[in-house]
Amino acid sequence: MAAPDFFKPRQLLALGTATAPVLVAAMGVTMIILCRQIDISIGSQFALCSVFIGLAAQKGGGPLELVALAMGVGGVMGAVNGVLVAGVGLPSIVVTLATMATWRESLRWWREGEFVRNLPETFQWFGASQMTGQWLVITAGIMVLGCMVMITQFTAGGRFMYAVGSDPEAARLAGIRPMWVTFSVFVSAGALTGLAAVLNAVRFTDVDPKTGTGLEMQAIAAAVVGGVSVAGGRGRVLGVFAGVLLLACVGPGLVFLNLPAQWERAIQGGIILLAVASDGLGGGRPRRLREQHEEKKRR
Amino acid sequence: MSGMRKKEFMMNLIGRGPSRWMAAVSVTAAFLVGCDKSSDTAPSSGMAKTVTVALMPKSKGNAYFISCRKGAEEAAKETGVKMLWEGPTEPDPAKQNEIVETWITRGVDVIAVAAENRAGISTALRKARGRGIKVVTWDSDAEPDARDFLVNQATPEGIGQTLVEEAAKAMNGKGEFAIITASLTAANMNEWQKQIEIVRAARFPELKMVALRPCDDLKDKAFNEATALLNAHANLKLIMAICSPAVPGASEAVKQSGRQDVRVVGLGLPNDNKRYVKEGVTPSVILWNTMDLGYLTVHVCAALAHGKLKAGDVTYSGGRLGNLEIKGDQILLGKPFVFTKDNIDQFDF
Repeated sequence: MAAPDFFKPRQLLALGTATAPVLVAAMGVTMIILCRQIDISIGSQFALCSVFIGLAAQKGGGPLELVALAMGVGGVMGAVNGVLVAGVGLPSIVVTLATMATWRESLRWWREGEFVRNLPETFQWFGASQMTGQWLVITAGIMVLGCMVMITQFTAGGRFMYAVGSDPEAARLAGIRPMWVTFSVFVSAGALTGLAAVLNAVRFTDVDPKTGTGLEMQAIAAAVVGGVSVAGGRGRVLGVFAGVLLLACVGPGLVFLNLPAQWERAIQGGIILLAVASDGLGGGRPRRLREQHEEKKRR
Repeated sequence: MSGMRKKEFMMNLIGRGPSRWMAAVSVTAAFLVGCDKSSDTAPSSGMAKTVTVALMPKSKGNAYFISCRKGAEEAAKETGVKMLWEGPTEPDPAKQNEIVETWITRGVDVIAVAAENRAGISTALRKARGRGIKVVTWDSDAEPDARDFLVNQATPEGIGQTLVEEAAKAMNGKGEFAIITASLTAANMNEWQKQIEIVRAARFPELKMVALRPCDDLKDKAFNEATALLNAHANLKLIMAICSPAVPGASEAVKQSGRQDVRVVGLGLPNDNKRYVKEGVTPSVILWNTMDLGYLTVHVCAALAHGKLKAGDVTYSGGRLGNLEIKGDQILLGKPFVFTKDNIDQFDF
């Protein structure tokens, strides 16, 4: 590579710490996409959770309490999406578009852009040293990744997700209740977003209420680049991990190669296009649609 | 309500985001103005009528404007005018219109408004001018034909110049620096960059800009960008953050990197940066002096009422601020204000 400095431990550690929260949030979105749904509200959920964490920390909340609070708040926001999508049956893109705007605007109205400041010393890095804190954040991210691999590949819940995402009707006939699977997935994604917010917030000494803007797109892009099919039912968690890493490297990579920032979005977009195209050309979605079509004819 | 949080007005200027119009409506503001009407219009026998200057912030509770008010009251005392201070509790263009209407009915001499909505307030202000009331805008402008003068707190030239001067000071006049901006497309940021480059090339050719990174107006992203810059450029001596969330973001990155040879200067808010300024990571934060802005506004209002300021004037004698430049119909507050560890504690917004 043209920039060996990029691979120095200091930069890799920084990159890992910055990427862990995105990874955790992307895990939640991956579950949702596997169920053939979408959630574009996680950036707003992330921001709201971050502000709650900050305020709770000001009141003296310890690390475990903060994690519980954030995952709880995230879970509740996820449940709102879940009820509207799985319960009422509204399209998830519309529901989460609405909740995205609602959470973001209420935050704007509430905080008016004001940082949550003066957090206690023990807030940053969970009170540990910087180095320990960075590793804690990275470890938490890897643990979530590990859990997700287990869940999607080796548990009934994971199989339910793939089943519902491939064909909800068939899943229902097989005795799975797509409604509950979808609802739980939204709640879990919300909780994971809350956890991501904690992992991000502890990197700093104050909370920017605008944080998480665009996080949903980072997460969805990572999932798509990682080979998760937007048509649902297909994709591997480890692929998403690769997707998160790949996209996270673009920005810093440009800094190290001394290339203009204008290229960042273009390159990321190119990667996504490439991923989607290879998915299509590789016979993923079209073949499946064809199969479904033929299946229908047979009936 | 914590006094510090109402500061959206400035964020427009320094790039934290769009102004919030969604504000809780206070019904008391205009009402109160109406109520104390009888008390101060009592005829003053024989002597010249005391001039009444009505000053409106974008929102009353905002710490930024509270700080402006201090200076405004100083000028009112100095010039002997009666000053009214009224505004919406939360930024609210409709409320601003109502208050202007009340002031027109009441017959004040001068109205000075920090406009929340440029077009929205202009109709009411034109009406006021039609009734012979002098109109000034401050902090943020209305349509030019709706007011006599704008008290302009910062020009791109002034901002660019001060940023480079402070950078040069922190870098001892030479070395590499990088800029973190909000976005590559923001018009005001691009204008500032142009000014920065002009001043750099003319006066500080030994400063070298090595990178320009956008942070999407997000503190956390500014942190990530600054971290990458620090790791990629071993000779970097300074990060110049030209949007407000980028200043604390970059400062935290420098602090965490442990790089003692790198400093941050930027355009931001005192409260966001106090800790870094005190720790020495960020030797200077640049904005304008809010108290001076309030002072000058009332000073200008008084001069207008007394006929000491007319269209076409090119300089203005602004009391303790000395002689100030008038550019067209804009009275310039002058060079931006530099917050350092010696003075930052006097400001709370």
